[in-house]
Amino acid sequence: MIEHPILFLVGITLAKIVCVLAVAVAAFAPLLIWAERRQSAMIQDRLGPMRANIQILGMNITLGGMLHPVADALKLFWKEDFVPPKADKFLHAIAPMIALIPALAAFTVIPFGNTLYLDALNQVLPADGAIESAHAIQLQIATIDVGILFIFAVAGTGVVGAAIGGYASDNKFSLIGGVRAASQMVSYEVVLGLTLIPCFMVYQSLRLEDMAMWQHENTWGILNPALFFAFILYFVAAVAENKRVPFDLPEGESELVGGYLTEYSSMRFGMFFMGEFIEVVVLGALAVVIFFGAWDVPFLTRSGFDVFGHYLPMVHWLVALIQVVVFILKIIVLMWFQLMVRWTLPRFRYDQVMKLCWKGLLPLALINILFTGVLLLAWRS
Amino acid sequence: MSTANTVLLVVSALLALGGAVGTIAAARPLRAALALLVNIVALAGVFLSLHAQFLAMVQLIVYAGAVVVLFVFVIMMVGATGKVPRSPRGLATKTVSLVVMSVVSLVLVFGVAYVSMPAAHLPHGYGTVEGLGAVLFTQAAVPFELVSITLLVAVVGALAVARGRTPKEAAEARARRAAEGLEADARLAEERRISAEVSAHGGH
Repeated sequence: MIEHPILFLVGITLAKIVCVLAVAVAAFAPLLIWAERRQSAMIQDRLGPMRANIQILGMNITLGGMLHPVADALKLFWKEDFVPPKADKFLHAIAPMIALIPALAAFTVIPFGNTLYLDALNQVLPADGAIESAHAIQLQIATIDVGILFIFAVAGTGVVGAAIGGYASDNKFSLIGGVRAASQMVSYEVVLGLTLIPCFMVYQSLRLEDMAMWQHENTWGILNPALFFAFILYFVAAVAENKRVPFDLPEGESELVGGYLTEYSSMRFGMFFMGEFIEVVVLGALAVVIFFGAWDVPFLTRSGFDVFGHYLPMVHWLVALIQVVVFILKIIVLMWFQLMVRWTLPRFRYDQVMKLCWKGLLPLALINILFTGVLLLAWRS
Repeated sequence: MSTANTVLLVVSALLALGGAVGTIAAARPLRAALALLVNIVALAGVFLSLHAQFLAMVQLIVYAGAVVVLFVFVIMMVGATGKVPRSPRGLATKTVSLVVMSVVSLVLVFGVAYVSMPAAHLPHGYGTVEGLGAVLFTQAAVPFELVSITLLVAVVGALAVARGRTPKEAAEARARRAAEGLEADARLAEERRISAEVSAHGGH
């Protein structure tokens, strides 16, 4: 291990943070808002978003509805920031931040590419074996031993945001929404952790970069029968944890007006809103890393494509670029799937949500852990 | 201890103290819960500075993710909207508690400062998931299982207390109440009859 000057490390880390935020927040959030509108219009047989436009020389430029997120942002910034007169002002202000920070923090441990060797960018690297390099960079903001537990830990803090927001608004609808959010998220957090235990057993690590590497060297996790079930359970639990339709009981506009969001407007609402969309990205990214091979591209090794002996050498930077782009594309596919779910299914009843958690997913997740153990023992002997 | 570790320890310790003071000083229950959250997150930072990464994460998952949420939940359910009134205790009580607190913290500070403790050598993998797992499965398997059984008993006990009646039990209870009701009705009728007789006699 070569010691780097501290400035180099700090600079690299800052660069990684900026890159991840640029993709996850600045690029994905508007794209998702547009996609959600377009998708819902297509599913409900409406014409898509097309009102927001810029008029230049008598031409209406709508960019197929891509201007709507811009209009959204402008509206949220200029709207009155209303606080109910009897609300607890401090808690009302701090709740959206508590809800947004964990969603952002989850990106710290998600690996978005293979190790990058800065001094060998223009070379064709050997397909395997260790590489001596003074400037090897992990494409991941923080490589920590506890790995995915960090995501669970920060996600746990996010529950408090919705609950406190509902309480501090001094509104009965908000209060009920907050209570619902707290109980639903606490319940599904338990299941979420249990659904992923089979993955820890197969990959024998909690580190997401190890999981990605395991899948790169062996096969994608989803192809393992135990992990296939784990993925289905994880996906359901994660959508419920995210409080989106069909699990959006905490908002439930037909009964609770807007749930814990009722008294929020302007950028404070925007923060809750952004947190929800970023969690869609986090859910997709986690599923890609754990089940769909992370940045792995079939037949692409470190030296280039190798399809059954047909060999196409590639320089290092091109390989890395392809891997990162494919990683992003995989996330986009999973986000699209979440949008399909959101606009296809009607909302559950609250008792159904709780039953699904404690009587459906929890026992199934436990059984799946046992099943994984049996599979692993059978393979080993 | 490296410089970064010391900075982390000092910042976390100060935050933890601030959170603890906030928890008892806050007039509104929910703000106290929020201060407790700060305290818990800061304690996780203290654990991190002591190389106990797994413990830090468990601290966040269990305490920040479950216990504080439970507190918030209860506060919302009970609906404590008002402020807690200032303590009506007199000057004497306050002085005594201040003195006790000062003595205890002084003893603690001097204890830590003057008692020399041997520097423990951290075994390989200390505080990591692998290290803790190995210890749990090789040295502490029986206590661990005992603790889990105790927890299971507690869960069953809580369920037994909190669960509602089964349909059968509800029917039995209804029958018992109906029978009691009949008895009571009969007693009431008897009393009315007696009192009517008394008043009838009184009329004469």
